[in-house]
Amino acid sequence: MISKTNNIIQKRETKIIKGNVAAAYAAKSARVQMISAYPITPQTTVVEKLSEFVDGGEMPGTQYIKVESEHSVMASVIGASIAGTRTFTATSGQGLFYMNEMIHWAAGTRLPIVTAIASRGAAPPWNIWADFSDVINARDTGWMSAFCATHQEIYDEILMSYKVCEDYDVLLPKFVAYGGFILSHTSKPVIIEDQDLVDQYLPPLPDEKGWPQIFLDPERPMMHGNLIMPSGFYSEFRMKIQDTLMKTKDKIKIASKEFEKTFGRSYGNGLIEEFNMDDADVGIIIYGDLALQMEQAVEELREEGYKVGMVKLRHYRPFPTEDIRKIAKKVEVLGVMDRATAFGSPTGGPVSGDVLSCLYDTGITTKVLPMMAGIGGREVTLVQQKEELKTLIKIKETGELPNNLIHGTLWDGILEVK
Amino acid sequence: MANGIIEISFAARGGQTAVTASQLLAQFAYDKGFKDAIAIPIIGAERRGAPIWAFTKISKNKMIKTYDSVVNPNYMLIFDTSLLEIPNIRNSIKEGTILLINSNKPIDNTNLPKNIKIYLVDATKICIDNSFMLSSGPILNIPMLGAFGKITGFYDLEVMENIIRDEFGEKRLSKNMKVAKDAFNSVKEE
Repeated sequence: MISKTNNIIQKRETKIIKGNVAAAYAAKSARVQMISAYPITPQTTVVEKLSEFVDGGEMPGTQYIKVESEHSVMASVIGASIAGTRTFTATSGQGLFYMNEMIHWAAGTRLPIVTAIASRGAAPPWNIWADFSDVINARDTGWMSAFCATHQEIYDEILMSYKVCEDYDVLLPKFVAYGGFILSHTSKPVIIEDQDLVDQYLPPLPDEKGWPQIFLDPERPMMHGNLIMPSGFYSEFRMKIQDTLMKTKDKIKIASKEFEKTFGRSYGNGLIEEFNMDDADVGIIIYGDLALQMEQAVEELREEGYKVGMVKLRHYRPFPTEDIRKIAKKVEVLGVMDRATAFGSPTGGPVSGDVLSCLYDTGITTKVLPMMAGIGGREVTLVQQKEELKTLIKIKETGELPNNLIHGTLWDGILEVK
Repeated sequence: MANGIIEISFAARGGQTAVTASQLLAQFAYDKGFKDAIAIPIIGAERRGAPIWAFTKISKNKMIKTYDSVVNPNYMLIFDTSLLEIPNIRNSIKEGTILLINSNKPIDNTNLPKNIKIYLVDATKICIDNSFMLSSGPILNIPMLGAFGKITGFYDLEVMENIIRDEFGEKRLSKNMKVAKDAFNSVKEE
């Protein structure tokens, strides 16, 4: 029996910690009751730190289990979640791919599981560095997905995620993704919040009966996820997931607003965060760690007199269609920077493809340039990001696209290949 | 010093504890009142003895928004003189870079830029004298950081003591502080 009492004493303090450690602190602050762990680089130190917390008595009552694979990680988290506990795990790259079957199961069962993803490139060849292709690979599973640009955002977004996921009108799982090594292994100051404030912000932990929609009771055995005939409610279950995810956009905005009220930190409207967009005539949509560094690039080009702006995409699923349309209207040229691949798609990048598709039939004539950088953790420097913005400015000035596009997309910073 | 941000690079060999040094330096500076700090280890296929890089950026007034590697270091901590024989490490020393080198003898600066300052500390000897060792060799990070605090004034021994107590516990404190002080007191400009 998992204890429901969890007396964590934590006062507000700032610590210089790795992004992975920030994720572990968030799980602790959220009083997660069950953690399932299997190591994989660059995520490993998330579950290592949590094992230290549990072992050191800092998370009393939390069940920490080690299993034999990522598939079992998600299976065990599903079991614990369905029994009525707040659960957490973390993985990366191949680990997430191996989990994939259970990923679908978690969303289909409508469970509020939060999973941190220290994103890394897909093998082969082996790659352990920042690339969001892993979380993008789980795009169509019914999970929400958020990208973090800072260490603090990892901590904050995990807290916001529990708030959204456990909302009775949502009940869906969520990935909180951040670039492997760039965020997972670098260290920055992170505010760990006062436990009382976190308790006040988050919904109460599920009680003995579990979640309100599932009464799992050994006295009254029942089956979940049984085979359903095509004439049964399968289509309707799927429609409901789409319906819920789209409506969840408002829930994310509310959770973000309440977060600001409680803790004083804000992330745009929760779905996107605009930076210098109001009078911009050239903009770029970008996500993950690259977004923070792009702010600096925007600031520096502003100092040179260019009216550039950027939009940090915080949520990929649900996709902020309405917000993207609004910001596309503001500028003449819009770059969309992907740090992930979507092979064979119209642009080759997942987000650029979605941005283009949501502008269809809206009368918006903004020129959109799909872009790629940092694939497999290839370093993207500040100097390079300024050049990317200058490329967009040049399109605005000349009306012409660069002549080095690859199937319509600018792959920045790649080596010459024969 | 781009945008008031002080950039420090660490050149070392795997096992010489430079990654921890980059993290501790960020903590020391932040604790001493710097507004922001980031430690950036460059992680690859580490092996003991192989050259490794780590960076720390610290800022008195501005938030640090970059995650990229340091290419024009204001300061460079070199944990092993043999690293100076590696061209890309030697080339990363720029005009105006201030070097802190772990060495027991003067540095041959014929192939180095002219306008640089070099400080020397015999961190290896300090570690050996105080049995401050791991199976991989001397734990160079604490004496190197003690010397760095002295030459820069970015933090003092008191800050080091507080952070080291938090990170490594009371039991290890006195030995850590002994090597930090020995380096603090013995670092000298070449």
